Amino acid sequence: MTSKRVSRPRPYRALAHTADLGWRIRGASLADIFVNAARALTATLTDRRRLRRREVREVAVEAPDREALLVAWLNRLLYLYDVDGFLGRDFEIVHLTPETLTARAAGEIFDPARHLAKTGVKAATYHHLEISPRPDGWRATVILDL
Amino acid sequence: MAAKVKLRQVDEYRWEIPREGKMRTRGLIYASREMLPKIEEDQSLAQVANVATLPGIEGASLAMPDIHWGYGFPIGGVAAFNLDEGIVSPGGVGYDINCGVRLLRTNLERQAVAPKIDELVNALFTNIPSGLGSRRKDFKLTAPTLKQVLRLGTAWAVKQGFGRPEDLDHIEARGQIEGADPDEVSPFALDRGKDQLGTLGSGNHFVEVGYVAELFDEALARAMGLFKGQITAIVHTGSRGLGHQVCDDYIKVMLKAAAKYGIELPDRQLCCAPIRSPEGERYLAAMAAAANFAFANRQLITHWVRESFERALKLGPRDLGLELVYDVAHNIAKIETHTVDGKTKKLCVHRKGATRAYPAGHPEVPEAYRQTGQPVLIPGDMGRYSFVLVGTEQALRETFGSTCHGAGREMSRQAALKAARGRDIVREMADKGIVVRGAGRGTVAEEISEAYKDVQNVVDVAHGAGISKKVARLAPLGVIKG
Repeated sequence: MTSKRVSRPRPYRALAHTADLGWRIRGASLADIFVNAARALTATLTDRRRLRRREVREVAVEAPDREALLVAWLNRLLYLYDVDGFLGRDFEIVHLTPETLTARAAGEIFDPARHLAKTGVKAATYHHLEISPRPDGWRATVILDL
Repeated sequence: MAAKVKLRQVDEYRWEIPREGKMRTRGLIYASREMLPKIEEDQSLAQVANVATLPGIEGASLAMPDIHWGYGFPIGGVAAFNLDEGIVSPGGVGYDINCGVRLLRTNLERQAVAPKIDELVNALFTNIPSGLGSRRKDFKLTAPTLKQVLRLGTAWAVKQGFGRPEDLDHIEARGQIEGADPDEVSPFALDRGKDQLGTLGSGNHFVEVGYVAELFDEALARAMGLFKGQITAIVHTGSRGLGHQVCDDYIKVMLKAAAKYGIELPDRQLCCAPIRSPEGERYLAAMAAAANFAFANRQLITHWVRESFERALKLGPRDLGLELVYDVAHNIAKIETHTVDGKTKKLCVHRKGATRAYPAGHPEVPEAYRQTGQPVLIPGDMGRYSFVLVGTEQALRETFGSTCHGAGREMSRQAALKAARGRDIVREMADKGIVVRGAGRGTVAEEISEAYKDVQNVVDVAHGAGISKKVARLAPLGVIKG
């Protein structure tokens, strides 16, 4: 995987929210933000560490700006999960512009017998959505509708 | 974060956000004084004010007593727009299009079922796929069949043998929203729907077996076929991944449309298009298709609820009863006729976490309830109770015939998980006489009773304000959670 593990601060952290779930994502680069947001999504659905890297899916999405691109990316991953049961454990950004993303997700088909079923996610939303540069890298906020 | 929203008390149950700034109308919130601090904690009041800025809004920007923070529109929000200048917004409906509730009654009394409740809950759990990414292995739809479902809704399911023709007479809009066009539903959404019809999903969705614990109005209860001690069943689910994808697809369309039509948005998630624009019409056609999917979904689940009762209790359909009392949508936008300032107008009424509550005599109320008013079903949390109400004339006058939809969360899911840590929730519920089976390990803990507000307070405000009338209280005996 191209993404380096960010040692500090945590790559994703849950925000307290009554109705749904918000994630505060951090990364050294914009690509890291997309990788860590995808990991956060998988971690919402299941215990990510128990997934194996059995197959790789390539995903390409477009959106009018980078924030909308983050939502499009997460919702495409939810689509893969809904249609095939596929969940990514690790993610690799192949190509990223403010309007397009090509990435690979390595993971496997969810198996209720082996994998922990956590919380269902309906969608990543545009609410309070932000991606911003910080002195130490990048930060994003995304709220999931559960 | 947001500045504190000004609030003026109108009477015991009504609070007004006076019109100011870019608001085109006032906000009107139904709540008791005790509820206000909690409501003011999140940004839902600012959201009521934001909705009031949208073009073509008629009457007030409304919030029901279960108001809480949503995306763009608050949950518990009701807003009506005229067809000339008004807008339609996917955010005013929500991701789970036509999430809704249906109630079934039986001929059985509590004592007859209580000893067999374990078998019954197990049968429900086996027959109804639930939980994260639940899908039916036995029941995959081909593309042409799925399109039929999207056009016909419940009628499709009944024609296939899932349920009884008379079920159609006890569903909002007979389980089929007009104007549905499957060609406006993206291939992505169709993909997500093809093996999710007849599944419960996760989160707060459930099937619950309960009994009528209390009657508030015996005559109305009798007219709905309800009696004290009677066994009932509730189904709560929506349009699954298909509906979520339709919402997401059209939010993208509407972000562009809002810019194209020069609609100023205080919040991106309020993105919308004029009702009479190609974008608006396409969304309404796709939303109606997703709503029909949800109606068919609840119908299929009802069929398996009936089968589960038959198997577990070894009784035939005639002995069981299991007739449909009613089925309501609580996330939907509908073209309806209302009277505003003495004028009759066609409006697009958005109900997001709100239930239609039409009075006796209204032409859109099914024949069976023409004398009583339309039944309103308000589910509570899994450990306490749910309510049956009826719509009123006052609701039609004040809230475009709308009322509350549920309890609303008190605790975040994380806080609930924390509160449940180290506890055996299933055992605690069993000690209270409620059998719970959940597909996800997290779900049951996230859905603990104390994570929710007391739905009784919500219902009491709706009743006190006169926007619906209490009929019965139901108590749970067994629940399957997604």
